[in-house]
Amino acid sequence: MARTKLSDDRDLTEEQRLFKESLLEWAERNMPLDRVIKMNREGHPYPRELIKGLADLGVIMGTVPEERGGMGLTWKDQALIAEIIGYIDPSIATAAGFMAVETGWGFTIDRHANDEIRKKYVQPAIRGDKFIGIATTEPGGGSDVANFKCTGEKDGDEWVLNGEKTFISGVEEAKQIGGGYWVNVRTGEKVPGAAHKNMTAFFVPIDSEGLTPTEPYDDAGRNSISTGGFIMEDVRVPEEYMLGEKDKGFYYTMEGFDNARILIGASAVGVTRRILEEAADYIKEREVFGSPLAKYEGIQFEFVERYTEMEASRLMVNKVADMQDTRYDEEGWAERSGKAKTYSPTEIAKWISMIKYKVPHLAKDTADDAMHWLGAAGYSSEYIFETAWRGVMSYCVGAEGGANIQKIVIGRETLGKDYVPYK
Amino acid sequence: MDEETGTIIREGVPSVLNAFDEFALNLAVELKNEVEEDVEIVALSMGPPQAKEALNKCLAIGADRAVLLTDMVFAGADTWATSVTLSRAIKNIGKTDIVFMGQEASDGNTAQVGPEVAAHMGIPQLTFVTEVESVNNSHVVAKKETDEGFVRIKCETPVMIACMPTPGFEPRIPNIREIMKAKKKEYQEWSHEDLGGDPSEYGLDGSESVVIKTYSPPPKGEGIIVDDEPEVAVKKLMDFFEDEGIL
Repeated sequence: MARTKLSDDRDLTEEQRLFKESLLEWAERNMPLDRVIKMNREGHPYPRELIKGLADLGVIMGTVPEERGGMGLTWKDQALIAEIIGYIDPSIATAAGFMAVETGWGFTIDRHANDEIRKKYVQPAIRGDKFIGIATTEPGGGSDVANFKCTGEKDGDEWVLNGEKTFISGVEEAKQIGGGYWVNVRTGEKVPGAAHKNMTAFFVPIDSEGLTPTEPYDDAGRNSISTGGFIMEDVRVPEEYMLGEKDKGFYYTMEGFDNARILIGASAVGVTRRILEEAADYIKEREVFGSPLAKYEGIQFEFVERYTEMEASRLMVNKVADMQDTRYDEEGWAERSGKAKTYSPTEIAKWISMIKYKVPHLAKDTADDAMHWLGAAGYSSEYIFETAWRGVMSYCVGAEGGANIQKIVIGRETLGKDYVPYK
Repeated sequence: MDEETGTIIREGVPSVLNAFDEFALNLAVELKNEVEEDVEIVALSMGPPQAKEALNKCLAIGADRAVLLTDMVFAGADTWATSVTLSRAIKNIGKTDIVFMGQEASDGNTAQVGPEVAAHMGIPQLTFVTEVESVNNSHVVAKKETDEGFVRIKCETPVMIACMPTPGFEPRIPNIREIMKAKKKEYQEWSHEDLGGDPSEYGLDGSESVVIKTYSPPPKGEGIIVDDEPEVAVKKLMDFFEDEGIL
């Protein structure tokens, strides 16, 4: 029986179809599903040759301008790449480490960093020779910015950073190949009722003196990339390693989250599509009580409901990527995307929160359904579903912003600021 | 296939690069990377407008420019008319040292077009080539597959080389940077007017052969599996052959 295919490429440009062909061909040779399952069983660090392979393909930070080592892709292009990455690796370790995190944050670092950071870290990361990511969460607060305790104090032409960051993707990989992190610290008094003020973002190399990585976590899923943390004890970074302006780190961080979250939504579309295709092959073949499973409404209707939601999500991701392409009006962005600036950043953030909240849950629920359709086989690691279910759960519970925080953003932008909880 | 008209359904079907041609292009790109001289690779195809997509892939893999021969006048061409068209286009392109072609097309499988192009151009031909070992200003050394094994041949240029992928061959995968770069490379579409000659020399009118009927072979029935001790199995098979009128 022919394999089930649930994609329609006719809305893609010729170049996008070629990206897709190249990525799928590469995956067939280097990252078939059985290897994805095995990598997750074996755990981190993520295989170095795959980091290099993904970089050679041009998957990482494509939206960085060409003159700074990127490819000048639109967010629409990058979202499509993210969707295919999710399809290739439904454990989302690849998306977690090298697509969403490095692209979302690397792009944002590139925008706010100086040329030294760009040359020493961003451009090598684009080539797969270094890893860069985000370290914002602390043991006492992630979404609750008021509890952030990391500090930065100026000493001559350096800044001295102290505190602990946790639940960071890729620490073991960064230790292995070099790189660094976007780190937020408090650089002024906490303002009552406006805890997000006086936060400053720095780029902190992983091999900085005084920076000690903590033990990696033993996560439920996406195990082929590490999750860890580090403690900073009088870590000194030069003034030039400040990202953007002092005390504005929170705003840049929200921009970085927006950039990463689009790609997470897109990846989750790919994860859902792969789960549905793999499940479809099984339920069309496997006979129970004289008929294929797919002939029973109990299964078929659940399948088509998820499929419909997946296509709706894909349209939504496309819309959000289109919106994001109107966001930046410098560096020839409008020329690149061919669109005029239309939406405010907060309007875009609302839509981004909608896909960040919705699509990972869809992927997780679809994996859950697929395990029910297949029964014991679906629950085993012979199939991708349990690996996908465990992996994508990380984006439901918190990675790149928890679901409830997304709902607060959506509520704020639809009902108004007077209805923001906890204020 | 359209059962009623006997023609191939092309609408909505993506245009893909013939695997033999892809191998030939890979050999050309490898060779270009090895030699010090300035080399230009021109990807040439004859086909409907959607063949542009396959040429875009050629540009991403490493061709420097691409030409698509697309014109309703070219439609319905047999291998003769195709090779006439291609050889005129190659002449139009300019001085050519090596014409790399796929050994055959993965749909028609005639393996005639390459040798015919060589004949029209009056140049030597090497077929079933699996590897180009070296090239200089006047000669090329290539490895050619035969029924008995391989032969190494030295041949004067210009030459037409029909390429045959080796088992396990993995074509290079164009990366996103190369795909984006390909967008900026020169791409042209030529009609019969660009090639000169009379329209009757091209396409169906210029063809020497006529296709009377094209059809899909009827699907095979289900086979039988005989899984018994030899004596019983032989008897069952003999009965089957008798029933089917084979013996």
